[in-house]
Amino acid sequence: MSEPLLSIRNVVKQYGQHVALAGVSFDVRAGELFGLLGPNGAGKTTLLSIVSCLLEATSGEALILGQRASTRDRNLRRSIGIVPQELAIYGELNARENLNFFGSLYGVTGDELAKRVDHTLEAIGLTDRANDRVETFSGGMKRRLNLGAALIHQPRLLLLDEPTTGVDPQSRNHIFEEVRRLAGEGVGIVYTSHYIEEVQSLCSRVGIIDHGKLIACDSLPVLLAQMGGVIRFRVPDDAPSLREPLRQIPGVEINGHDGPFVEMECRDVKTALMRVIALLNERQIELISLETTEPNLERVFLHLTGRALRD
Amino acid sequence: MLTWILAKKDLRLLLRDPRAMVVLLAMPLIFILVLGVSLGEGFGQKPDDRLRVSIVDLDQGFADPDAGSGAPKLHWSKTVERDLAQTGGIRVELIPTLEEAEQLVAGGKRAAVIVFGPDFSKQMTQSSFLRGGVNPLFRDGIDLEALDARVLRDPTQLTAASIIEQVGQVTMLRVVLPWMIGRAFEKIGDRMGFILANTLQQMFPNYDLTGKTWAALTRAPERSDDGAEVSTYQPPAGSGLLNRGAQRYQILVPSYTVMFAYFLVLTVGWLFVAEKRQGTLKRLRAAPLSRAQILVGKLLPCLMLSIAQGVFLLIAGKLIFGMSWGTQPWWLLLVVICTSLSAMGLALLVAALAQTEAQVAIYGTLLVLVLAGLSGCLMGDREMMPENMQRISLVTPHAWALVAYKQLLANPAAPNVALVLQSCAVLAGFGVGFLMLAWAMLRLDDAT
Repeated sequence: MSEPLLSIRNVVKQYGQHVALAGVSFDVRAGELFGLLGPNGAGKTTLLSIVSCLLEATSGEALILGQRASTRDRNLRRSIGIVPQELAIYGELNARENLNFFGSLYGVTGDELAKRVDHTLEAIGLTDRANDRVETFSGGMKRRLNLGAALIHQPRLLLLDEPTTGVDPQSRNHIFEEVRRLAGEGVGIVYTSHYIEEVQSLCSRVGIIDHGKLIACDSLPVLLAQMGGVIRFRVPDDAPSLREPLRQIPGVEINGHDGPFVEMECRDVKTALMRVIALLNERQIELISLETTEPNLERVFLHLTGRALRD
Repeated sequence: MLTWILAKKDLRLLLRDPRAMVVLLAMPLIFILVLGVSLGEGFGQKPDDRLRVSIVDLDQGFADPDAGSGAPKLHWSKTVERDLAQTGGIRVELIPTLEEAEQLVAGGKRAAVIVFGPDFSKQMTQSSFLRGGVNPLFRDGIDLEALDARVLRDPTQLTAASIIEQVGQVTMLRVVLPWMIGRAFEKIGDRMGFILANTLQQMFPNYDLTGKTWAALTRAPERSDDGAEVSTYQPPAGSGLLNRGAQRYQILVPSYTVMFAYFLVLTVGWLFVAEKRQGTLKRLRAAPLSRAQILVGKLLPCLMLSIAQGVFLLIAGKLIFGMSWGTQPWWLLLVVICTSLSAMGLALLVAALAQTEAQVAIYGTLLVLVLAGLSGCLMGDREMMPENMQRISLVTPHAWALVAYKQLLANPAAPNVALVLQSCAVLAGFGVGFLMLAWAMLRLDDAT
C-alpha cells in the first residue's frame, strides 16, 4: 500500500479551556476520497485549518507528503488546494480573472496559466461564462468556480469544506463528477459535509467526528455493516401465526408486531425480503403495503452519537 | 512579484467599485463646486481689520514756478497718501480709475472714496495765506473742492463715509498747513528781512515756521515708513458662474483634497472587511504568501489610488475652477504623496479595528469628519480658526498638509520651501506611525 498523502496523528487543538479537537488520527492516500462527517462545531473546519497550514495544532501533527503542516511553511501550501465553506472568490472580477489571480498566487504564469485556466473552466462547466462578472452567477456557478480556484495550481491534496452548500442539483452533479475525476487522477481528497448522502455516494472511506473526537473511521461497507436494514409491511388482519416463522429467518430481529403492522431489522434486506414474500405466499396472506430501508450513514451516525446529524 | 499580483487585483476591484469612485473623486469636486459658487469674494483673503481709505489719484503733478525753471514736478497726492499710510490703523487702497470708484461706491462696496483731480498738485502748490493764492481753509477744515479734490460717498453708508472723510481731513491739514505756513514765513523773510524772521523764530521756539512739513513745523522726527503700504485695488477674480480663478479656490481645492484623501479610510476598510467576510482572505492566507506580502499587496493600490486622487483634484482645480498651481508645482506632488502616505496609515489602522462594513462606515466617517473639523479642512480655510485652535490643529496630519499647500498655493510668490519640507516630513511621520500601529494590531487570522 502506498504511503499516505495526509497523515493526521493524534491532533489536539485547544482554545483556552475549550477542546476543539481531542486527539484525532487518520490517513488519506493518493486517489482516496475521504469523507469527514460531523455536526456544526464538531471540529471539522478546525481540522481542515490545521491541515491547510492556517492554524497550529496544540499537540500532535498533520503530515502532508511526509512534511509537517505548519503556518510558517509556505512551500507546502503549493501542494494543497482548499475549497472553503464561504464563496471565497471575487464577485467584481470575472471567472477567468479569478482563476488567473489564484493561479498566479501559486506561481503559475504565462501560457501554462492560460492553458490551466481554460482547462479548469471547462472542467467546472463555466467556459461560456468565463468573461462574465462572478456577481452575476447563480449560487451553483459560484460554488463551481470556488472549486475551480482551488484546482488551478493542481494540488495533490484537496480539502473541500461543505462544497455544495446552497447548490442546485445540476451544479452538485458537476461538482461530484469533478471530484471523482480528480480522485481518479490520484488527488487525495478530504470531503466534509452535512449531507450524509453526498458522503455516502462519493467517499470510499468515512470518518465521523463529534465533539472533537473521531468516533468512527473506516471504509463505507464496514461502517454500514454495523447497522442492518429495515423491512416494514402490513397484512389484512392480525397474523400472530407469522411471528414465529419470521423469527426463524436468519439474521432477522422483529422490532415490532402491532396487529397487522410488522417491522423487522435484518442484516441482508434482499434475502430477508425474499423469505418474507415466500412465507406470505405459502400461507396465502395478502401483502397490503411494503417498505424497505437499506442501511445508511444517517443511521450509523444516529447509532454512534445518539442524535441525527442536523440536530 | 506576488505583492504586485495582489496589488493589481485590488486596483482592479477598486476601479470597478462605483462607491469608491464617488467618495474619492466626485464628492470633493461637488464640495468645492458648491462652496466655490456660494462663498463671498472675501473668502480666502487675508483678514484685515484696519480702516480702509480708498483713493483715486488722477493728480498730474505740478512744478513750483517759485523753485525756478527745471524744478521737478511736485506730486502732492503722493504726500497725502504716504501720510495716510503712515497713520496707525489705516490702510490705503488705490483705485485705478474714477469709473471703478464710482461703481464701487454705487454698489455699496466702498462707503467713500477720496478723489484727487488732475490739478491737485497745482492747487496745493498755490495754496497760500497771501493775496492771489489758493485758500483751501474753511470752517470745517480743508475745502477739497478748492484743491481739485472731492469725496465720493455712498448715501447708504454715511457714518462710515464721514469717518473716512474726517481721517482724510486730518491728513490734509497735516499736509496743507505746514506748506502754507512755511511759504508765508519764507515771504516774510524775503520782504521784511532776516531780523524780523529771526525775531519770530525766537518768539515761537517750539516751531520751525519755515518748515513745510508737519514734522518740520513741529520740530518732530519724521514718521517711519514701517508697515506703511499702499495697495492697489484688485477686482475680485473669478469669472462665470463658477467664479473661475477666484482666490477662494486656492484655499478650497487643497482643503477638500486633503479632507477627501482621508476618506481612503472607508475604501481600505471596506476592502479589508470584504476580504474577511467573503472568505477570500482565508484563501490568501492559505496561499504561499507572507503576512507582509498580503498587507503590502493591499496597501500599494490604495496608495496609488490616493495619489491619483490628489493629482486628479489638483488638475480638476486648475481646469474646472481656474486655480493656480503657484510657482513651484512639483512641490505639490510631494505634498500629495506625503498626504496619501499618512491617509493610508490611518486607513489601515481603522481596518485593523473594524470588523464589519458597518463599523468601517461608522468609525471611518466619524474619524474623518472630526479630524477634518479639528484641522480646519471642513470649513475650507484654516485661517478662519482662532489662533489657539490653529495650534491645536497641528495634532492632525490634515493641518500639516494644509500648511504645505498654503505655502505653495496661497503664497506663490515666495513659498517657504523649508516649511513645505517640514510639513511633508511630519506627514510622512504620521504615515509611518499609523502603519506601525496598524501592523501590530491587524489580525489576519480572524479568517480561519
